[in-house]
Amino acid sequence: MTDRREEILERLVALVAAIPNIRWAQRNNPDIPDDQLPAASVFDGDEESNGDIDIGSSRPPNRPYVVRMTPEIIIAEQSNEVGSDLATLRVELIKRVLNDAALLATVGTNGNIRYLGCQTDLGWGRSLQGALQAQFTFKYPLKIEEL
Amino acid sequence: MTDYGAVLFDPVYAELGVPAVMGTTEITVIDNIRAKPLAIVTSTGAAEVRSMGPSAFARVYELVAKGIARSTWLGATLAFNGKTWAVRSYELRGSPNGEDAGEVLFLLKEAAAS
Repeated sequence: MTDRREEILERLVALVAAIPNIRWAQRNNPDIPDDQLPAASVFDGDEESNGDIDIGSSRPPNRPYVVRMTPEIIIAEQSNEVGSDLATLRVELIKRVLNDAALLATVGTNGNIRYLGCQTDLGWGRSLQGALQAQFTFKYPLKIEEL
Repeated sequence: MTDYGAVLFDPVYAELGVPAVMGTTEITVIDNIRAKPLAIVTSTGAAEVRSMGPSAFARVYELVAKGIARSTWLGATLAFNGKTWAVRSYELRGSPNGEDAGEVLFLLKEAAAS
């Protein structure tokens, strides 16, 4: 049994946890304590399939699908140099996701990984805090016989 | 006119105030550190960093009397209740007797991160 979606999400958590200086990495946790920064949280992404392209055809419902999942990764940090710190963490995040052999193997030769972009936000807590929200799209086959 | 410093601020500071050191000068402040969820993240609101906003009230007329000029407030260290902070900004809270007879709310950050 193989659930590529779950494999990708689990691998993303492992990747962000290994980014240098990240002290706290979790999945789908929206509450980040400020004494654990820099921290990262991976949020399960929306998924779309190509299921509607042949809805009027006689192809069986268990045909192979191609799906695209777009998880979000949030990295938060606090320091007087929070902009530079986030820039460094962003570089590490992008490099690790796009070059990861395990992720590339999971999406397969017909799949792909794309970095879509990021948004940032700032605020004051006990010091200057910043957060970066990055999106990646993973295109991979959904084979019913694998599930 | 009523001296609001004498009848309002001074009794409050006598009850709620704590000893503080601004730079090297001893003053009295009201510790206003508040726990609050600080929503700093994302247009989708997917995550929040739980944080707190350190701040302290002081009487402007006490600062003036002790020679702490307004031009020195920003960046000054402020130590109270076992922590040392740095003033990152401030809000003047005047009184009916005028701006210099009221309070100032110092917005603080960790001094170690300055």
